[in-house]
Amino acid sequence: MRAWLMMALLAAAPARAADDDAAALSLADTTPASTQQASDWRVFLEGAWAESALRDGAGTEHDEHLFLDVHYDKTLAPAWRAVFADLVDSHWQDSISHQNAVNTVIDAYLSWQARPDAIADVGRINTRYGAGVGYNPTDYFRVNAIRSIISIDPASLRENRLGSVMVRGQALWTAGSLTAIYSPKLADQPSDSAFSPDFGATNFRDRWLLAASHQIAANFNPQLLVFGGANASPQIGLNLTTLVNDATVAYVEYSGGRTQSLLSQALLLPPDTAFRSQVAAGFTYTTASNVSLTLEYEYNGAGLNQEGWNALRSGPPAAYAQYRAYAADVQDPPTTRRLFANARWQDAGLNHLDLSAFAYYDVVDASRQFWIEARYHWTHVDVAVQWQLNSGAPGSEYGALPALHTWQALLTYYF
Amino acid sequence: MRRGDGGGAAVKLARLAACALWAVLPAVACAAPGAQAILAASDAIRNPDRPFGLTVTLIEYRDGRQTDTTTLGVYSKADANSGQFRSLIRFVAPPRDADKLMLKNGNDLWFYDPSSKASIRLSPQQRLLGQAANGDVVTVNLAKDYKAELAAEEDVQDGERQNRHCYKLDLSAASPDVTYDRIEMWIDTASSRPVKARFYTESGRLLKSAYYRHYQAQLGVERPTETVIIDGLDPNWVTVMRYSDYSWRDVPEIWLQRDYLPRFKPE
Repeated sequence: MRAWLMMALLAAAPARAADDDAAALSLADTTPASTQQASDWRVFLEGAWAESALRDGAGTEHDEHLFLDVHYDKTLAPAWRAVFADLVDSHWQDSISHQNAVNTVIDAYLSWQARPDAIADVGRINTRYGAGVGYNPTDYFRVNAIRSIISIDPASLRENRLGSVMVRGQALWTAGSLTAIYSPKLADQPSDSAFSPDFGATNFRDRWLLAASHQIAANFNPQLLVFGGANASPQIGLNLTTLVNDATVAYVEYSGGRTQSLLSQALLLPPDTAFRSQVAAGFTYTTASNVSLTLEYEYNGAGLNQEGWNALRSGPPAAYAQYRAYAADVQDPPTTRRLFANARWQDAGLNHLDLSAFAYYDVVDASRQFWIEARYHWTHVDVAVQWQLNSGAPGSEYGALPALHTWQALLTYYF
Repeated sequence: MRRGDGGGAAVKLARLAACALWAVLPAVACAAPGAQAILAASDAIRNPDRPFGLTVTLIEYRDGRQTDTTTLGVYSKADANSGQFRSLIRFVAPPRDADKLMLKNGNDLWFYDPSSKASIRLSPQQRLLGQAANGDVVTVNLAKDYKAELAAEEDVQDGERQNRHCYKLDLSAASPDVTYDRIEMWIDTASSRPVKARFYTESGRLLKSAYYRHYQAQLGVERPTETVIIDGLDPNWVTVMRYSDYSWRDVPEIWLQRDYLPRFKPE
């Protein structure tokens, strides 16, 4: 009896498959014939509503943002290309009357491909280097580039920032390239004016960069950088990524050179120049169930060790505040060692639902920051909810942030 | 703000981009007669023999309802030594993903987001996730990576519901890096056109079926302009991949590297 049943089931299986295939093909027949054309424009409008619980029972704070993000990339002629990217952030805090706006010119440059293997750019360019996810010591043009922090997400911090005015040349050869950048000093001081180009933030001194890469083997394409500028020793940078196995990518980002400590730079102390290194090293593992996990170790040799950090925290508040502000401006961790973890899950049990989370752990003071986001998207619209927690002892990296935790809801429309 | 260069987003984009490359599986000249030659001939039907560009539109259905549409611009060129295709892919739609880029060069897979300026290396596993596990087919250089055996000659219904007399080939992995342990492939005995394929896990579970259909003259050869992919576990999960705007393209070798990604803009 059982054998007959098995035979009947086996006989029925191909018929079922044929029916399934026929149904799928019929469905495919109904697909309208239309092709989307590429556009030179990318524009989105985003509204954000946030409520933060302040530390020590100091009440709550409400923030609303309206972001307009515009990207334009036009081929003007076969060898010429114009790129413009701009972000306008209108911000209201606690009441509708407390409004301000900040404009960030991300890109505004002209590109000339003189030959297939030689390209020159001039203008304001948000150029970025670095294999790290939570910290990018070789992202040399990050310094002072953020005009308004609209999300603590490291990806957002890299996107929504000022480009530096520069001349950039790139030579390409098979499996390699060399890039040279010169970014001149244009102003002395940053500007708080809403629609200022703010050249003083990004072009406050002469800087230059050389970046070379060559694919030495199938899975080995190191990038070497040399960065220098007025009143600073050259810094050597290295970015390496490699495939460990089918599911894992490992990476190392390194920057080193003679430089002052962060404290000495921030407080304008007598120079304590020495060779210092900065590192971000980690790996990303992707599970079979569609989750990508990143673990990263971060080392900032110019930051404060436990002894120095404790001394600063227990010293004059003004010096502490000045140090924290400076570290935030140059986007370096204030202490020497930090851990970063990141998880992303696309279509998290539900089609179009994405879950993301990250955490920083300051190894020196044991403070922590958590961030989690649930995002649902349609063709033109995203809806997201984010939650952030900053915990730690008073004066610690994350325990000193005014908000204990923050809820934020976002609605984005992509044109 | 949005998470523009997220690994999660990259994963899905990688899957979709890899999907697109279904159209451009490299044709590898294979001198071996018989089944291997039949397979190589069918590769040549799908894949132009010079660098080319095309538009790939992926339309995904769940339970009869259209749930996703993605449009990609793809440039491809075969490596003179390995026969592997290297491809540059630019996302055209949906709007949130527009202008993101992919580079596939063998096992080197890079994702670039023009907003964050980040070039991220992806692992092959990141191409295997979710329903668009059809994406991993791009890693399969059929005539090169599989040993073909002629299992039968039989009549099967093609994607247009016409009966075709086909070779049924059993493909078994010849390289440890391939995704599928086994593929069944039906190839028209008269024209060498691929008609349909079934892809299996090592344990013999059906992962997906694919129908190659709507043959039209493209770049001098009658090629499929649509592939219909049916999920092996959930037959109501259907992806239609449409290929249009075929054209010969000059793809210089210097484009096929990570550092060119920020520069790439298809015509």
